[in-house]
This record gives sequence, C-alpha cells and structure tokens, in this order.
Amino acid sequence: MYNKDTSIFERVLSMFQTVENEGHGSVLLVFVIGMVFGSIIQYTRVHRFEKIAGFSMLKDTVVPKMLFLAIGLASIGLFIFIQLGWASYHVKPILLGGLIIGGIIFGSSMAIFGKCPGTGPVSVAEGRVDVMVGALGGILGGLVFTLFYDKLQLLMGKSLGKLTLTGYFEDHQGLTVLLFGLTLVVISIAIPLIEEPDESEVGDLQSE
Amino acid sequence: MIKKIPWWVGGILMALLLLFTFSIFGANRPLGASTYVPYFAGIIFDLDPEKYTYLKEIHKPGSWEGVLLLGVLFGSFINAVFITKTFRFTALPSAWKRYKNNSLTSRLLWSFVSGFFLIIGARLAGGCTSGHFLSGMTQTAFSSMIFGVVVMVSLVITGKLFYKDNKDV
Repeated sequence: MYNKDTSIFERVLSMFQTVENEGHGSVLLVFVIGMVFGSIIQYTRVHRFEKIAGFSMLKDTVVPKMLFLAIGLASIGLFIFIQLGWASYHVKPILLGGLIIGGIIFGSSMAIFGKCPGTGPVSVAEGRVDVMVGALGGILGGLVFTLFYDKLQLLMGKSLGKLTLTGYFEDHQGLTVLLFGLTLVVISIAIPLIEEPDESEVGDLQSE
Repeated sequence: MIKKIPWWVGGILMALLLLFTFSIFGANRPLGASTYVPYFAGIIFDLDPEKYTYLKEIHKPGSWEGVLLLGVLFGSFINAVFITKTFRFTALPSAWKRYKNNSLTSRLLWSFVSGFFLIIGARLAGGCTSGHFLSGMTQTAFSSMIFGVVVMVSLVITGKLFYKDNKDV
C-alpha cells in the first residue's frame, strides 16, 4: 500500500509482485515476450526513423506491409484459438472522441517522431539520443494525462460498446474472420515494397 | 549472424507472438505498449496511486507492460551490442537530414514535443500501434479499425506537410 514514504524501489518491486500475482504470465515470461517483441522490431528495422517517418512520406512501405500481414494472420489464428477455448476476446470500447482526437494527435506525432510507444524503446536501447529526449516528453505526457484524466474523459466521450466485426456478423463468424484476415494478407502483399535507406545503409553508423 | 529479416518473416513472427500472448499458454491477454508510460510517470513523479483515478485504472495493465518494456529494453540492448552491432549514440536520423534539416536542436525539440503528444494521443484513444493496431484489429474490434484509419490518414497528411518532398542527398 502506498504511503508518502514509499520509495521508487518499493514501487518497482510491487510492479513485479503485481504481475506475478495477476495470472497473466510469470514475470520471466512477460519479460521474454518483451525481448522477442523487441527483437522482431529490431531485426525488421521497423523502429528506424526512416521506416516510420518514411511511411508518412510514402517512401517506405515495410511498416504497413508487416502490420497488415501480422494482423491478417493473427486474426484467423486467434479465432481458431477462441473456438478451441485457448484464448478469449479483450476488446477495447468505442470512445469516438478519444479515438478520433487521439488518433489524429497520435498519427501526426508518429510522423514527426518517427517512433511509436512500442518501437521507441528499441531505439533507446540502441543509443538514439533524440528518442531518449522524446521519451522524456512522453513521460511528461503520461503525467499530464494522469493529472487531467477527469477532464479529458469528457473529451473522450461515452462508450458505444465493445463491438467487433465478428459480433456484427454473428451467424457467419468463421467466414467473416477468414475474409477479414485474407483481405489484410492480400493487401500486405499487394502494397508495393519501397524502402528508404536507413542510417546504417547510408553510412551514418559506420565507425568501426 | 543474421542482422536483418524481411518484412514477411517479421509479420509471421509477430502474428505468432501475438497468438502466444493471447493464449492461455502465454499471458491470456493482448499485447499493448503505451500504458507503461503513464504508469512509470506515476512512479517517477511519486504520485499517490490511490488519489488518481487513472493510476488506479492502469495499475494492473501498467505493471504488466512495465515488465514487458524492461524485456524490450534488455533484449534490444543485448542485440544491438552483440549481434546487430547497431549500438551508437546518435541524435540526427539520416532521413531527418535528407527531408527536414541538419539542426540537432530542431530534431531534439521536435522529438520532445512529438514524444509528449504521442503519449497523450495514445492514452486518449486507449491504445497505440500495439494495443489497437496489432492486438485490437486481430480481434476485429471496430474501435481499433477506427483508430487505424484515423492514424494512417493523419500520419500521411503530416508526412506530406512536415517534410520536404524531394531533396537531393
């Protein structure tokens, strides 16, 4: 329990305890999921400024190709898992104000920063100082959001429900997911592959 | 050692990781990566989690993502130092020089500001590229599709307006 003498160390310790007791994987498992997640990002280089800002300029298409392929395949797989009782849905509610205003702010920040919250940490771990500075901005953003949450909730609006495409086509769930997944896979293949050379390819990282 | 994998291998691996994370054999929850930011902000600025509604709401997902983040940082650092050999202290991305400017101050300032708004935007929408795009659209959630479309449009419009279109290297 928090009191004013609780140190940062104790709060980080309580983070591990919370995860260990929560039943969503042991601390080690979640840590390993993070390592794999980071590695996939790192080896496909989608954390590079050139890949994300490049996508915003339509000069690099690796990010959308990989995203659509991953979603397409995973949506079909997840549906099968759910039928087998191996997984369940955890759908986010529709808060129109939050989704639209948040989406606009998020998209334009992502274009300028050239990172998102999942890819940023990979760049930080590679020594990118500009991304470390951006992370400080992000932490400040997290603070401001927390402090003004009650007011911001008015902006986000009321939940219109946790609706899904499969819920809408209730009687044909399997077919719906199959078409949805395959469409995304086809889109991911159909988008032409364009690549903007990144810093290691133009020699900005040569120092050995 | 492998230093780069093609987009389709990455897409397949990411799909497998998402499925594992969703499954009861893994974490039995979606993979998200932006709730950890306000969670850590609460710790760093020593905010009382009992006093702030938001900190109470994100206590569990924030902890989970906090551990995930440590894994990302650790794994990427080890890779960068020993395998991809991409660890360098740099601050000015090549494409920023190509399409924006050569000013370090400009890049750092824009990074700080866009980092700030990136998190505000993600938390307003209730997710980011991982939580909404990857995990949300995998569940065919309408909320995530709305977010996805808005983000893509906003990203491309900003890219067109913010960067110079064609500049010689």
